[in-house]
Amino acid sequence: MKKDLFAICIVIFILALVFSGVKIQSVDEYYLVHIDDITPESQTVFLTIRCDTILDNWQQLDPALRYEKYVPSDGVILKRHEYVLRDGDTVYDILDRAIRHNKIQMECAYSVNYASVYVKGINHLYEFSCGELSGWMYTVNGIFPNYGCSKYVLRDGDEIVWSYTCDLGRDVGCDWGMQK
Amino acid sequence: MRLGTRRRMRLGDAKMRYFDRLHPLSALVYFLMIILIAMITMHPVITAVCYLTAVIFCGMLIGFGKLLSSLAYSIPLMILIALTNPIFVHKGETILFFLNDNPVTAEAILYGANASMMLMAVFYWCRNYSTIMTSDKFIYLFGRVIPKLSLVLSLTLAFIPKLKRRYKEIDEAQKGLGIYAGKNFTDRILGKFRVLSILLTDSLENALETADSMKARGYGLKGRASYAIYRFTLSDLAFLIATAVFGVGTLTFIALGAADFGFYPSITPINLSIQSCVMYCALAILGFVSVFCEIKENLIWRYWKSKT
Repeated sequence: MKKDLFAICIVIFILALVFSGVKIQSVDEYYLVHIDDITPESQTVFLTIRCDTILDNWQQLDPALRYEKYVPSDGVILKRHEYVLRDGDTVYDILDRAIRHNKIQMECAYSVNYASVYVKGINHLYEFSCGELSGWMYTVNGIFPNYGCSKYVLRDGDEIVWSYTCDLGRDVGCDWGMQK
Repeated sequence: MRLGTRRRMRLGDAKMRYFDRLHPLSALVYFLMIILIAMITMHPVITAVCYLTAVIFCGMLIGFGKLLSSLAYSIPLMILIALTNPIFVHKGETILFFLNDNPVTAEAILYGANASMMLMAVFYWCRNYSTIMTSDKFIYLFGRVIPKLSLVLSLTLAFIPKLKRRYKEIDEAQKGLGIYAGKNFTDRILGKFRVLSILLTDSLENALETADSMKARGYGLKGRASYAIYRFTLSDLAFLIATAVFGVGTLTFIALGAADFGFYPSITPINLSIQSCVMYCALAILGFVSVFCEIKENLIWRYWKSKT
């Protein structure tokens, strides 16, 4: 009997451990209705999300995604907009808040190897959705930082652009491949 | 239809199955065809037809009582697989709720359900295959062409049922010895682990012994004749042709894109064009032909039994 109780305790402990790491939110709870108001003293950054490279590589795009709601005809998913910068905010935090506020779909995963969040897809456009070399990249003030978006801590007035590349970044102006 | 001598000879058997009489070649082609179609596409109609026919045919072969007890395991497993997919895949438009900031979508659950149905369709067809295609039939077909490979294949395919049988035997022997008669649950589970380890050692030894004894009996030697009880009759040929026509027909339509289907980001409506409907019909005929043959055989069997 003692052994049984011990085994049950261990099972309960493991289940508790698993469920303590689980956070369940309803759709309404997830999306933000209200976002920080911009006051004269608040620090701000700008964010744009665009996918215009897809328009040039339409033939490579997954046929299920060839609709206006996934790829807008002007290639802009989120127009340039000003967001309040909280202390210690990273590129990922701003993206997450903007996505929640504008009710855009997004999927990301934490990558242990790079100790950062990896953005798999925005607005149903995923990595590899438009050819093998496609995926999401970001620039801050026009520069491609070569590390994860949740590691980049922002400063006042920074300009973030998330762009979808169909050619490992070469078509959005990233020159990592050229450097030696 | 008049009955041939072969059928009359076997009327004394307790159980009559059409597929037992069918030539191994026709049966093999039939099983390979339907398993291939079940695996090749994610179209829900195709998976559903394959699953349904697999389960019904399985019931006809092993009896519906046994089928129910196997479904009692496989249906919860299917539900588990269906619910596992949305934990890892967050694609899809219809968001139900958010789990750790990632969406759980209806599309992902349906994809999981479809994938689990496909898995079970293939599982049950393989089970039907191993019920019908006993190792003697398999070796009859391939023993001369590829003796070593066919032996290995037939041993492998017969492995799981054999393991199950051996497990039961070892389990009973252990119980008889009174080794794990312990009252508490933990001890019983540990006892099962011991049975498993015995099973593993035993089956390894058994495999080696089988190989040795086959070698000692001259398996695969040149000029060695094998006794065969199968004859390729006209009805076997008819079955083979029907399988080929409907199977290749279905595969052609799949290749032409009649079975194109996508789950992400939103589920494609099911294609009801003439091409697709013809494909569904061809597949349904292919799947149900086995069931109908068994039903027909049962009816004939009962009719003859009541006459004599």
